[in-house]
Amino acid sequence: MADPAGLDRLVHRVAAEVRLRRAEYYGLRGLFWGALLAVLPLLAKSWIGAAAPVVAVGLIAAGVGAGVVLGLSLAAPRADAARLADRAFGLQDRVATALEWAARPARTPLVDALVQDAAARVESLEVRRVVQRVLPRETRLLPLPFAAVVALALLPAISLPIGRLPDFTATPEEEAARERADALQTADRSRDKPEAVKAEGLTERDFERPNASMIHAGDRPALFKDTALSGERPDFSAFMKKGDERLRLLEQVDSLPDLQSDFTQSQYQKLAQQSKALTAGLRPDQIPPEKLRELLEQMEQMGNKEANGPGQAASQGLKALEEGKQDRAVDAMNRSLNSMRQSDEQRKGALNLSGGRQGNTGRRSTESGDSKEQGTPEQEEPGTSKGLLPGNGPGGQPKGDPTSRLHAKPYDSKLEGDQGSGKKDSFETNMLGHAAQVPSRLQTGAVFDQYRKMMEDAIAREQVPRDYQPQVKDYFRALGEK
Amino acid sequence: MSQDARVREFVSSFEALRSEVHKVIVGHDDVIASVLVGLFAGGHVLLEGAPGLGKTLLIRTLAEGLELSFSRIQFTPDLMPADVVGTNIIVEDTDGRKHFEFQQGPIFAHILLADEINRATPKTQSALLEGMQEGSATVNPIEMEGTYPLPEAQLDRFVFKARVRYPAIEELNAIIDRTTQRREVDIRRVMTGPAVLTFRDLVREVPIASRIRDLVSMIIMATHPEWEHSPEVTKKFVRYGSSPRGAQAIVLGAKVRALSQGRYNVSAEDIREMAAPALRHRLILNFEGEAEGIDTDKIVAQVLERAESLSVRDKEVFLR
Repeated sequence: MADPAGLDRLVHRVAAEVRLRRAEYYGLRGLFWGALLAVLPLLAKSWIGAAAPVVAVGLIAAGVGAGVVLGLSLAAPRADAARLADRAFGLQDRVATALEWAARPARTPLVDALVQDAAARVESLEVRRVVQRVLPRETRLLPLPFAAVVALALLPAISLPIGRLPDFTATPEEEAARERADALQTADRSRDKPEAVKAEGLTERDFERPNASMIHAGDRPALFKDTALSGERPDFSAFMKKGDERLRLLEQVDSLPDLQSDFTQSQYQKLAQQSKALTAGLRPDQIPPEKLRELLEQMEQMGNKEANGPGQAASQGLKALEEGKQDRAVDAMNRSLNSMRQSDEQRKGALNLSGGRQGNTGRRSTESGDSKEQGTPEQEEPGTSKGLLPGNGPGGQPKGDPTSRLHAKPYDSKLEGDQGSGKKDSFETNMLGHAAQVPSRLQTGAVFDQYRKMMEDAIAREQVPRDYQPQVKDYFRALGEK
Repeated sequence: MSQDARVREFVSSFEALRSEVHKVIVGHDDVIASVLVGLFAGGHVLLEGAPGLGKTLLIRTLAEGLELSFSRIQFTPDLMPADVVGTNIIVEDTDGRKHFEFQQGPIFAHILLADEINRATPKTQSALLEGMQEGSATVNPIEMEGTYPLPEAQLDRFVFKARVRYPAIEELNAIIDRTTQRREVDIRRVMTGPAVLTFRDLVREVPIASRIRDLVSMIIMATHPEWEHSPEVTKKFVRYGSSPRGAQAIVLGAKVRALSQGRYNVSAEDIREMAAPALRHRLILNFEGEAEGIDTDKIVAQVLERAESLSVRDKEVFLR
């Protein structure tokens, strides 16, 4: 029986060479990464002190050592080493096959001959390295971390920035000074903007509170509308506090104020709502005179001063209120509101902004029957309108020429053909019909592959005569090109 | 007899047979090699080529070099299965009694040359292919009218397919010289039937490493368009890949090739050499492949490349 010991020696030698090359490979990689890490202690030399270069050298050595150990410890399978030997020495897989088959219990006589042949060829080989050295990609970049290490080791220590965040908390003196400045600034703002204060105070809720300009915790709309922060000196703590309060309120979704209504309602609507809230269920003598005065003053400021304008009516109301005639003051307020409503509708009408229902009701209430004489389609009695039929415009005028179809005979089917002889109700017609004039609904692309497969099957099963096969293939090729 | 001696005898017989064929046939080294490999692998060989390129002459010469019986059938559309396998005929003995006696057809031969097999009807082709024990068939790819191409299932029964190509100028000159002058060619019988059977047994003893076997499996898998690692050309142009018979043909052919070179084992180079003749008739092209006129040899080349790269990638564990 042939002895494969010579083959084993060759394989062991190749495996050891593989491990050596691996140790080189991973050692170089470890050198690169170790040098890269060694930059860190040298950067922190001011902290670490004289031990920094030692730590850097230690990191480099550790990287190299780890790489070498990894390379040496990775397994080099025997079969792979044998294959490598076969390839390197041109043995045409003799060593790998011989080693594999020699280990099998049922060896054929030819396997013995193979082992002998392979061993003889291996014995005659010249000993040389068969595993090529492979350099890792990091090798090209190796000078960079090394240059950095050397430079940092030679340069004096770099002072590093203090690693903590800036202190935003104010000292007690700063806090007291800021509070004083805030108080002064608030007083100035109150003096400079009396209208704004009044406008703020005209919210419905403010009638119940004497100090309307102050913002309380329960006054959510006022809290959200508060823009006083923008005029104040930057105060991080106050800003955070306001923000937290707003966030807490935002979590209460059900009780959020309708901020949007302030921007969608007109001034007339707001004043109308306020007056409605003020006079709801109360006789004129039961209405608080101070609140009525505030509302009338607001109307006087907002309305114009022309005759029969809202401002003039509000002035008359204020005058009546001063005379103690509260019922006349309420009438003046209502007149002022009516005047405001008319001017608001006129403004919307000029901008063509009036909605259908709102505009109609307004016109009906104010113009009372004049509009009927104009005879616009919108104001016709229900059931008498012709509606927007095809060919009719909104004004009942025909829009373009009517289609020929409308005047066609009901039996005119527009089918081409000849009438057959004899009495018939039908046409003998060559009905190309609709399908000939429109593209097919069955998309060719969707079924083309399926039909082509069927064609290939048909050709493979010889269902298509050989003479016709090229034509069939050409047809499908042409379809495919389309 | 030692194994060395057996292998040496195989090598010498193989070379002797090759040289005898070369006495008559000029060039066509790959075709002759495929035919000899098919002979010792124990399969049928399909020769495809234009008329007049020496297909029939090659097989006839091979038969003369072997001490074996030889038959030739020229296939025509009206050839019946009984013309191939034989039939029962009524024979009258000396006593005047009549009985049926089976009259063997030409298929009862060690080497059978089925010339222009694609001209026979499928029924006759089937009778031939079922009964073939040993032999070769030729196919004429031109003048295809009235022919019946072999179905894929029957093509798969041929272990190799060799393409007989037009000779080069030097070979053409040699053909002219050999065939237009007075020349006596004496073909020696270098091998007997039992020797062929012994060599077939020897071929099957040749060991193959598991890595090489894996390579063959990957080659076969890479001919299938459904396999995820198949090359793009396979996915694009192949309809059906090779059957396991393809793998058997590659390995057996590689063993014969290794042994013919005096080697005791199969190498990856043997696999590479035998892949094309073993697979080119087993790849069924799809419509695009046929329309584009894709050569299956090119597909096999890319399949080989992909299989080898996969084999190396899976097993390469040295450095990366």
